[in-house]
Amino acid sequence: MLQGFIVISENLPYILGGIWVTLTVVVGALIMGLSLGLVLSVAQVYGSRVVRRTVGVYVWFFRGIPLLVLLFLFYFGILANLQIELSPFIVSIIVLGLISSAYQSQIIRGAILSLPEGQLKAARSIGMSDSKAIVFVILPQAIRLSIPGWTNEYTIILKDSAVTYALGVTEILARSRHVAERTYQHFWIYILAGCIFLLLTYVGTKLFQILEEKVRTPGYTQ
Amino acid sequence: MADQTPVLRIQNIKKSYGDNKVLKGVSLELNRGGIKVVIGPSGGGKSTLLHCINFLVGLDEGRIYLNGKEIIHNRKRELTAYRQKVGMIFQDFNLFDHLNALHNVLIGPVRVKKLPKSEARERAVAELERVGLRDHMTKYPAELSGGQKQRVSIARALAMDPEVMLLDEPTSALDPELIGEVHEVIRDLASGGMTMLLVTHEVGFASSLADEIFFMEDGKIVEQGPPQKILFNAECDRTREFCAKIGRLHNNSS
Repeated sequence: MLQGFIVISENLPYILGGIWVTLTVVVGALIMGLSLGLVLSVAQVYGSRVVRRTVGVYVWFFRGIPLLVLLFLFYFGILANLQIELSPFIVSIIVLGLISSAYQSQIIRGAILSLPEGQLKAARSIGMSDSKAIVFVILPQAIRLSIPGWTNEYTIILKDSAVTYALGVTEILARSRHVAERTYQHFWIYILAGCIFLLLTYVGTKLFQILEEKVRTPGYTQ
Repeated sequence: MADQTPVLRIQNIKKSYGDNKVLKGVSLELNRGGIKVVIGPSGGGKSTLLHCINFLVGLDEGRIYLNGKEIIHNRKRELTAYRQKVGMIFQDFNLFDHLNALHNVLIGPVRVKKLPKSEARERAVAELERVGLRDHMTKYPAELSGGQKQRVSIARALAMDPEVMLLDEPTSALDPELIGEVHEVIRDLASGGMTMLLVTHEVGFASSLADEIFFMEDGKIVEQGPPQKILFNAECDRTREFCAKIGRLHNNSS
């Protein structure tokens, strides 16, 4: 056990350095997922039949294939064939972002559909075009309602980001594995890795709770 | 001259939901400053009529003219310009829940009319003052009473400078004690010369305000005429029966 602590204390800075890599991947993917997810959700709710179908296929694709398969497909398959050189780090953000956009689009779609029909009618009745109504009336409300769903999405992406070690991204798990294989202190090292993820989950969900509180419409008790 | 052209003319509007014919050819005209009231039993198509007039519900057939000009609702610009001229008040208020009273009124002038912020703000404050809510500007819909919400929604419509107001049972979702404050605002609008088409069950209020009452049932205007005639001396049996019923209700409650 003492040996474990010694190894941990010697390698702690290196492993903790992975937090920034992990967080950059997670935050990058969430932001990309949000931007794409907003567009997809609006398209799926208000778009024509063809548009709705297309979004449906997109969501089915990215929700239906395992992350590891998509990472390998993009990195070794598609990008290599197109002779586009991107770092594993960037590819991981893109793939996680695409997957997250599929999930986030469904979170936002649910929020849009839960708004009373009268909101859109009222916006139209004062002469707003549909696109203005969506931007200024529908989405500001839908986004507030999406925050609990995003908290969940953050924890999922955070844990999924560990899989990117398979492409060689030096995030928390990858660094832990380097140390464990060198020192044979697998037990203590992976306990440490687990604790870091738990801590990040805790801090992240707290931040989302604060955000939820901050943007809550006064008088609403949700 | 302008007074001779009806502000709003509705010609033969028809609307079905599947096999259910909700409107079976409704026509009416609103002259400038005129106040018409639609009464009739639930399910008779009154609400659908108002929604159709604002194209919030697509019509199957029929034409709508504003100041003599037909509205082609497929042209988006024309439609949004028309809707600014035709204010709509909903039964359940439909305030924008994420905005406070001031911003509910402000959003139209800023986003639709593209007025400068300060000018729009002045306008919004003036409209809220007009409906007696100057002291409640920073409250959110969830913090307002039903009567206050409806008054904000009237201010929101007024801020767009409408030529006509359509009011769809503006007080039917309110507690009895809150109805008065909304009626008072509507009365003010009437004395200010606003052209209005009002759907209501408050016959006492309707008869004191309207220059004409339409009795609507089963998707058609069955009878129309001055309030005294429709409410107390109707020609059609069905109108008489309905007015007698709600008249009794009204007398009992007052």
